[in-house]
Amino acid sequence: MRHYFANIYSGVYTVFVGMAITFKQMLKPSVTHQYPYEHSFERKKNVRDIPQGYRGQLFNRIEDCIGCKKCEMICPVDCIDITTEKLPKGEKLWDSMNVVHLKDRAEIVGMIEGNEKIESNTTVAIQTRERGSVEVASERIARVVERKPVIFYLDKFDIDMSLCMYCGLCTEVCPTECLIMIDTLKGIEYSTFDRTSLIFKFAKPEMYDKLLDEATDSEAAD
Amino acid sequence: MAAPKPESKFIELKPFSDEMVVNMGPQHPSTHGVLRLELKLDGEVVREAIPHIGYLHRCFEKHSENLSYPQIIPFTDRMDYIAAMNQNWGFCLAVEKLMAADEKKGFEVPERAEYLRVLICELNRIGSHLLSFGTYGMDIGAFTPFLYAFRDREKILLLFEKICGARLTYNYVRIGGVSRDMPPKFLDEVKEFIDYFEPKIDDYNALLTDNKIFIERTTGIAVMDREMAINYGVTGPNLRGAGLQWDLRKDEPYSIYDRFDFDVAYGKEIPEIGAVLGDCWNRYKVRMDEMKQSIQIIRQILEGSIPDGPIMAELKAVRPPKGEIFFRSEAPRGELGFYIVSDGTPKPVRVKAKSPCFTALSALQELSKGLMIADIIAIIGSIDIVMGEVDR
Amino acid sequence: MLPVLQQFIQKPFSELLVQENNKNLSELFLEFTRTHVPFLASLPLPLSQLIAMLAVCVIFVAIVPLLPLVLVLAERKVSAHIQDRVGPMRVGPHGVLQTLADGVKLIFKEDHIPRQGDKILFIVAPYIIFACSFAVFAAIPFGKSILVSDLNIGIFYIMAISSVVAIGVIMAGWASNSKWSLLGALRSAAQIVSYEIPVGLSILAVVMLVESLKMQEIVRNQGDLGILSWIIFRTPFTFIAFFVFFISAIAEVNRTPFDLPEAESELVAGFHTEYSGMRFALFFIAEYANMFAVSAIASTLFLGGWKGILPGYDFLGGTPGFVIKTLFLVFIMMWIRWTLPRLRVDQLMNLCWKYLIPISFFNILGIGIWVLIFQNDKHPAYIGISLLIIILGIFGAYLVLGRRSSQSPAPRASSA
Repeated sequence: MRHYFANIYSGVYTVFVGMAITFKQMLKPSVTHQYPYEHSFERKKNVRDIPQGYRGQLFNRIEDCIGCKKCEMICPVDCIDITTEKLPKGEKLWDSMNVVHLKDRAEIVGMIEGNEKIESNTTVAIQTRERGSVEVASERIARVVERKPVIFYLDKFDIDMSLCMYCGLCTEVCPTECLIMIDTLKGIEYSTFDRTSLIFKFAKPEMYDKLLDEATDSEAAD
Repeated sequence: MAAPKPESKFIELKPFSDEMVVNMGPQHPSTHGVLRLELKLDGEVVREAIPHIGYLHRCFEKHSENLSYPQIIPFTDRMDYIAAMNQNWGFCLAVEKLMAADEKKGFEVPERAEYLRVLICELNRIGSHLLSFGTYGMDIGAFTPFLYAFRDREKILLLFEKICGARLTYNYVRIGGVSRDMPPKFLDEVKEFIDYFEPKIDDYNALLTDNKIFIERTTGIAVMDREMAINYGVTGPNLRGAGLQWDLRKDEPYSIYDRFDFDVAYGKEIPEIGAVLGDCWNRYKVRMDEMKQSIQIIRQILEGSIPDGPIMAELKAVRPPKGEIFFRSEAPRGELGFYIVSDGTPKPVRVKAKSPCFTALSALQELSKGLMIADIIAIIGSIDIVMGEVDR
Repeated sequence: MLPVLQQFIQKPFSELLVQENNKNLSELFLEFTRTHVPFLASLPLPLSQLIAMLAVCVIFVAIVPLLPLVLVLAERKVSAHIQDRVGPMRVGPHGVLQTLADGVKLIFKEDHIPRQGDKILFIVAPYIIFACSFAVFAAIPFGKSILVSDLNIGIFYIMAISSVVAIGVIMAGWASNSKWSLLGALRSAAQIVSYEIPVGLSILAVVMLVESLKMQEIVRNQGDLGILSWIIFRTPFTFIAFFVFFISAIAEVNRTPFDLPEAESELVAGFHTEYSGMRFALFFIAEYANMFAVSAIASTLFLGGWKGILPGYDFLGGTPGFVIKTLFLVFIMMWIRWTLPRLRVDQLMNLCWKYLIPISFFNILGIGIWVLIFQNDKHPAYIGISLLIIILGIFGAYLVLGRRSSQSPAPRASSA
């Protein structure tokens, strides 16, 4: 008999306890975002940015790519397709860019002028394409990726993002760190209606034409 | 209980007028993925429930034979996608042990990496159990705990996103260490999360665990006692729910688990609410308790100091010596074993994953006899299977 | 009870439908047309009566479907806020037009009929459920005179008509020719039939107190002392009866924790698995209309109907007051739905036959004794006694059972 009433009591009691919890929750503000409509959440308190180093879409800075094919080798799903043509022996296209990683996780792409070795308590001048010469205190520099001479023409550098499994192994083996995963919104929102447009072609053959033109121009000037 | 009788491979359809054969799944809201159950019903009562698997088979083991060791790790992510960190770690531990067999190739995993691994994997264990709790609530019919669980799991995923750049398929634990060091202020965020989350567990217990209807639905249902669990090779929370204190982290400590002090959660008989050892409620409860236990471990990591140093051992190439290894680790769903045969080349000859979900699922047929349809749902939820790991 | 039945038997049928002293909406309409519309005035009286009644019916049928429109949105918003979400936000400001958009979508969806199903039953079933849940509104007093028809057998009619829904559910489940639907339908039949009993018995408790089956009579019986003379507080037994009624009512409208017929995690969608488009929308509308109807009945029977909270004043009284009370009960139903898990079939039956029905019988016994002892049961002193007993009962239960259970059943489970 007592068990019978205890049953009723615990039934009613636990229901009320649960309802109290859900009611308390109802008065609290919600935690969700209205994603496609507000992806910059600055107005709201529960802002979240895409963290640095997020593994988004793959992108290759083709100017710095040396065509070593390490990424193609490591890729578990073979989504990277590279064709290269080797230059005649001893020649090189250009020195690749240095990538200077700062301690606050920012990075500067450019050429370090003069000595590659960074001594402490100095400022390092980095010649960038966009911003001209940038001077950075050597304390801020976390590491510098070494320059490598480019000895390959890249005829083809295709990445099929519909195959990619976002493991990030290719970006880790890249010696010049020119293959990166975009950690901004651009690297996430790239869906299309056509599967073939997910094959990203990074090779720019016209780049070499321009370069050859420049070379002939300078020869003419000489 | 005796070992299960060998079942006939072929489906025998006896056209009884009062027996109804119902296909539950592969598309069904609560079969946790693509499990198909062939139910033979007598009204609401299930005479037999035969699980059919293989709908999510992706040839993990065959793939592995054609990939080098580091390349296999992202594939382990896809096995138990709820607890991918633990899967990564399980594989890496096996390969590391295999490499340690050769003195020249053996190496020490740096201290910092070990701490990071424990921290991350315990966080992932919380995330996995949260999801299990949420979906179990939804199976039983309460929708709200599901969203609460996802809300809190989201916070864990944000932490993972910061440390490894991905939300679900982490590929974080590597052979010889971890892939990235933690970002600045990461530990503060972990602490913030733990402080936020610990009281929430009591909320969940009040909302679902102690709810009279929930107790009625789960206590005394589908009792998998100790003997049966051992016979079937069931491990993890399902085994501990049967009252056996068997936790690899405690009993065969790998990595640095022997440095932490934590209690193993196990099932208890509570006559007041009708809970029996090894019933659905106890299996579920072990998971709720394990979340607290993981918090205990994480707190110890946060209170002590994580040593500075490298996060990756210096090894040139992953090329284990000739030989074979079986290594098991405690994943959230049970003992995850990897059997690897190496012939000294960069690619393994054979990789076999011993999946805890598969063994748990094999007990379903015996557990579900004579119960009701609603109980089948309760059992599937309580043994907490992930079809990605069952089928691999 | 007995005089009521005698009255019912003696009265000719024509008088059943027409009120004697209190005018209802159709009579007001009739008066208005006979004085202001010459054309209708020239018609013979029965014909214009018929026209007036039809007009009122049309008004109700036009207004009542708007209720689900509001309730569906309310449900979505309530569930969203309980679950840390915001719910529909896109159609209209804060998503207020979302239900309308969904309705339009459902109308344009393909109307699929299973090839091997029973076509006629499949088509008819939603209309039966729809019609039954709307017929209930005919006898619900929304206000002093806002009522289609104050039937002599009002509450009895409501009970009768609302149980016809079970037939529609079985038809839908059978005609779909789907195993899930059939299981859902059979569950539903068992459930509705079983839960009719506690509903009926707890209504009987009220009827014994009021000595009338008329809805308006039941409302008028309450409210002399404002909130205190609501039937729920009148005796300790009606207090229990209210909860019994409310729990069984939730079961009858198939909502969590008793939503077994449509349990989405077990039976996919139960009896309406195979329905799509407008037919599915009809089930949906009927569900929410039912929910509102059941809450309206509860507030009529136990919470004073359209009578106000304060005696004499119309504070929270009239039609707005009635709707507020009803919506409050609807809100509680939603709140329960998004908090609790679902029962199993046998436990559902246990709850009904082992708990609710014995309690209801005990209630009826108690009410009988109460009425025998306190003849004038609306006296403030008697209400005071009843309130005292209710409060003492709750505290007593807390002290006797709560103490005990704080050491053992529920709270221990989490700490163990």
